This record gives sequence, C-alpha cells and structure tokens, in this order.
Amino acid sequence: MPLTPLQTYFPIGLVLLVGSGLALVLLLLANVLGPRRPNAAKMSPFECGSVPVGSARDRFGVKFYVVALLFIVFDIEAVFLFPWAVLSTELGWAGYVEMLIFVATLVVGLAYVWKKGVLDWAE
Amino acid sequence: MTNLLSLVDVNLASAASFRPELALTFGTMAMFILDLFWKNHPARPARLATGALLVLGVAAALLVSQPTAPGSLFNGMIATDGFATFFKWLFLLAAGLTVLISAPGKDFPPARLGEFYALLMAMVLGLFLMASATDLLMVYLSIELVSLVSYVLAGFKKGDRRAAEASLKYVIYGGVASGVMLFGMSYLFGLLGTTSIGQLAGRIQHLQASGLPAAATKLTLVVAMVLITAGVGYKIAAVPWHMWCPDVYEGAPTPFTAFLSVGPKAAGFAVALRLFYGALSGPSAVTAGFGEAVGGLPWPAIIGVMSVATMTLGNLTALAQTNLKRLLAYSSIAHAGYLLMGLSAASDRGVQAIMIYLLIYVVMNLGSFLVVILVAEATGSESILDYRGLAKRHPLAATAFAVFLFSLTGIPPFAGFVGKWYLFVAVLDRVPGPGGNWYAVLAIIGALNSAVSLYYYVRVVRAMFIDQPYAEPRQAPATPLMYQLLLSASAVAVLVFGLWWTPMIDWTSASLQIFKG
Repeated sequence: MPLTPLQTYFPIGLVLLVGSGLALVLLLLANVLGPRRPNAAKMSPFECGSVPVGSARDRFGVKFYVVALLFIVFDIEAVFLFPWAVLSTELGWAGYVEMLIFVATLVVGLAYVWKKGVLDWAE
Repeated sequence: MTNLLSLVDVNLASAASFRPELALTFGTMAMFILDLFWKNHPARPARLATGALLVLGVAAALLVSQPTAPGSLFNGMIATDGFATFFKWLFLLAAGLTVLISAPGKDFPPARLGEFYALLMAMVLGLFLMASATDLLMVYLSIELVSLVSYVLAGFKKGDRRAAEASLKYVIYGGVASGVMLFGMSYLFGLLGTTSIGQLAGRIQHLQASGLPAAATKLTLVVAMVLITAGVGYKIAAVPWHMWCPDVYEGAPTPFTAFLSVGPKAAGFAVALRLFYGALSGPSAVTAGFGEAVGGLPWPAIIGVMSVATMTLGNLTALAQTNLKRLLAYSSIAHAGYLLMGLSAASDRGVQAIMIYLLIYVVMNLGSFLVVILVAEATGSESILDYRGLAKRHPLAATAFAVFLFSLTGIPPFAGFVGKWYLFVAVLDRVPGPGGNWYAVLAIIGALNSAVSLYYYVRVVRAMFIDQPYAEPRQAPATPLMYQLLLSASAVAVLVFGLWWTPMIDWTSASLQIFKG
C-alpha cells in the first residue's frame, strides 16, 4: 500500500523522538550519577582558558556585528565550496564557472565593505 | 553521476531564458562597485543614474530578445510566459522612472545614491522572480528578497525617527507575515507532497478523492490557504494586513515610497493571480463563480470580502489625512481593494483588468509622488496646507497633479477610468452566473467607494486651485528640467491612454498566457 504524504513523516517523527529521548536520558543520568564538587574555578565562565575580566553582559562595539556577518558569509562560502570540490571533475567547466561567479560575488561584497571603511578599527 | 550532470544541463539551458534576471544580478554588483567611484564629483548623481538606467536597459533589451514560447525553467522553479513578461515590463518601467526621479532630488544625498540604485536593482530582480515563480519555495524566496531590500530602504534616512519607526515596523510586520506564509506552505506541502504551484489543484482533487478523514484534511487545507493568503495580502497591503503601509510610506524616502507603492504591489498581484487563478480555479473547482472552492473554501468569495474591506477602509481613512504621503498611502490601500475585485471575478477578463489597471496605476501613482517630492523640496512639508495656491506658484505641477488625482478617482477621460471600467466589467460579467447577486453587491460597493474617494482627491485639487495660500510663499527653487519632463510625460500619458486604450487592451490580452506546467 503506498504511503500517504503524512505517513512518510513517520521516520522523521521517530528520529525526533529517539534523539530528544536520548539527550534527556543522558542529562538525567549525569545529574543522578555524577559527583558534584563545585569550586570557584569550576563555576567561573569558560573564556578559552584565560582569567575572566568582567561580566559577559556588557556593551560591545557594533563593529563586531559586521565582522560576525562577514564571518558567516565566508563560512557559508566554505560550505558551498566543499561539495563542489568533491565533485569538481564530474561537474566540469560549467561547475567551475558557476563557482567562480559565486566567489566573485562575495569578493565584490568584501571589496565594497573594505572600501567603505567598515574594517577600519582605528576610530 | 549522469543524474547530476543532467541537472547542470537543465540549469545551463534555463539560463538562456534567464538573461534579463542575470543582467540585473550582475547589474546589482556593478552598481555596488560604481558606488565606490566619483566620491566628490559634481556629476556623481548623473553618472550613477546613467549606470542604473544602463542596467535596466540591458535587462529590457534581453527581455525583448528572449524566446517568447512559454516554458519552465530550473526544474519548475520559475516559468517564462506572457504573463510574467508583462509584469517584468511593468517593473522595468517603474524602476526606470524611480531612477529618474531620485537622481536630481534631495531625498538621497549624492554620497548614498549608489547604494540606493544597487539595492533598487536587487529589488527589481526579486520582483522579476515573484512574477515568474511557479514553485511555493520560489514564491517565498522572491518575496523575501523584495522584502529584505524594502526594509533597508524604508530606513534609508539614518537618524530620522520616522524612518527608523518605518523600518522597524516593516521588519517586524514583514517577518511575521512571511513566517506565517511559510508555515502555511509547509502544511500545504505536508498534505499534498508538492511545492509546485501547477500541481496543487490535481493533488487537492486527489486528496479529496482519497479516504482520509475529511474534516481534519479540510481544516488543514483551509488553514494553509488562509496563512498563504496572509503572506500575499501583506505584500499588496490588503485589509487586514495593511497596518504597516501608511507608516512605511511616510517614513521612507519619497522616491522609494513611489516605487514601493507600485512595484511590490504589482508583484504581489502577480503571485496571487498565479496561485489563485492560474492554479486553483482549474479542475479542483466544484462550481464556477463565488462558490468556486478549494477544499470547501470558496476563495473568490473570501477575496471579494477582502476587497470590500480593503477599499472601504482605505477610502474612509484617507478622508481624514492631512499629510499627502499618508493620504496617498491610504489611497494605495483602496486601490489594492479595487484590484482585488478583478481577482474575485476569477476570469480571464478579471486578470486582464488587473493588468490594465496596474499599468495605468504605475504611471499615475509615480506621477503623484513626484509632485509630493516637488512640493516637499520647495516647502519642506508634506501637509495639504502647503498645496494651497500651488496652481499659481507652479502651474505645471498643479495641473499634472490634478490629472493624476482625477485619474486615480476613475473619472473619464483619464486613463484611470479605463482601468476601473474594465475591473467593473469583469465583475459585472459574473452577475448572470452562480452567486451573481454577490458580484452585483461587490460592484455597487466598488462604485460607492469611488464616489467617496472623489471627495478627498478633490480636496487636494481645491487646495491647489481655489484656496488662498496658507503662508506667504517663499521663493521656490527652480524645478529640475527632469521633473518637468517627467510630469508632462506622465500627465500626457494618462490623458492619451484615457482616450486611446486599444494598445493596452491588445498588449494585455496577448499577455494573458499563464504557464501551467
């Protein structure tokens, strides 16, 4: 009997159930079985190993926002480049040109941001 | 890997009919690069405007040379057909006029003009995709592209409180609306297993024939359709999704307001027509006319109710406005209401009427906003009080504005009358059929609304020609030649096409071909 569209979602529901169940069980187990001996160093927020200098709820320079934005853009570029790199021989010249256009688009964006002085940290 | 390669081939073949869009894509990038040059050059606005017009011109040339046969591109994501091409011309016309309007004006400082043009090109690309989208995903993506650019441009005036308010309201409202629409689409996909607009009707029929629990299925289908209608309704500013419209129109730079009032509205109607008329009025329809139903939901009747609510609220609220930009915003809501009458008629004639009306609407609305810009530059105000005595200070602007306003009312011999005439004919055509009485009611309410709109349009005309000036007029700055040319051309176009409308009829009836893959 062919599955109705709704029935095809059953495996997804199963994954959701098993995934969240597993996470819940692991957290519970850690809570019940794990020993708990807190000290000052353990309770302090983790800042890549250096000694914390203040609260994290502080005002940040708005420039971080642009840097984060740029980071995401180039992060996603890498996400797109990986699968293309794996299949680049099969995709041939058409794929190569498509990828060039994609990268060129991002370069234009970077050049624009650069020339507009967004990356100047001096002020 | 043959499978993959054939996908590449499909994309390459599709790109041949995708050239105008490609031109706009690369044009957007080119405008961003151009923006970096001629920093303090006195001819900077002129050069940037030339660049933007060049991009639009290339897109137009490629649109002309594009194969006219209807077809599906990119695995059914978008389609090329006469319907889409008509709307693409509309967007090019509106964008070209907007570029010409914004170049000599003071709304955009020369330093930031390049930014505006680059974003405008991106927006035109989004509008192109909206008009040709044949897949729900593509509908969503293109609406998002248009919306995201609109949010930025609505808040273009940095440090201006009204602009910040407009942008924030627009983002929140638009974000919720498109999220709601996407949610509705997910229901539709869950029920029907397809995102292709062309397959919706068949799948719905199939679903109704299969033995699923009828009530639950029907409810889900109705909810999905209502949510999608909300997304489209927000784009065309139909009641009850119109609240963002006046504030955004008021806060945005006026040339962009002008574009916003015609471009996205037309594109929203293109999406609505493709979805409701192109896809859902076919085999799944139980009966014709008002009872025509999707999953038991008589959508022409619902659109009819929306139409009545939209035009009535728009017109009644416009009566109380004293700021011209807000007045035109409410008037544009009312016009969305008139246009919905054509959609409610659910016939080829209704579609044609919408197309004719939008074509005229682009010219008369852009013209009206041009006068608002002109007056704002001379007096620094958008209040109706500052339009008093405009006929003496600036006869050309006053006369042209009067022509646009009478045309917006729909009085012969102006072009707006032709558009309204066709809309009413499309509705009245349905009167002998099933549910005909309701169509008659719709037509009567539409006529009453036109009468109401006459009052507030004429109030502006009276201020310009009869009322004494509110304050001693200052020495008005010289009007740029470009504005004089644009005003005269628009006013003449509204007059000429009000008397000689055969070309519009021929063009629109040739463009009635909706691709149903």
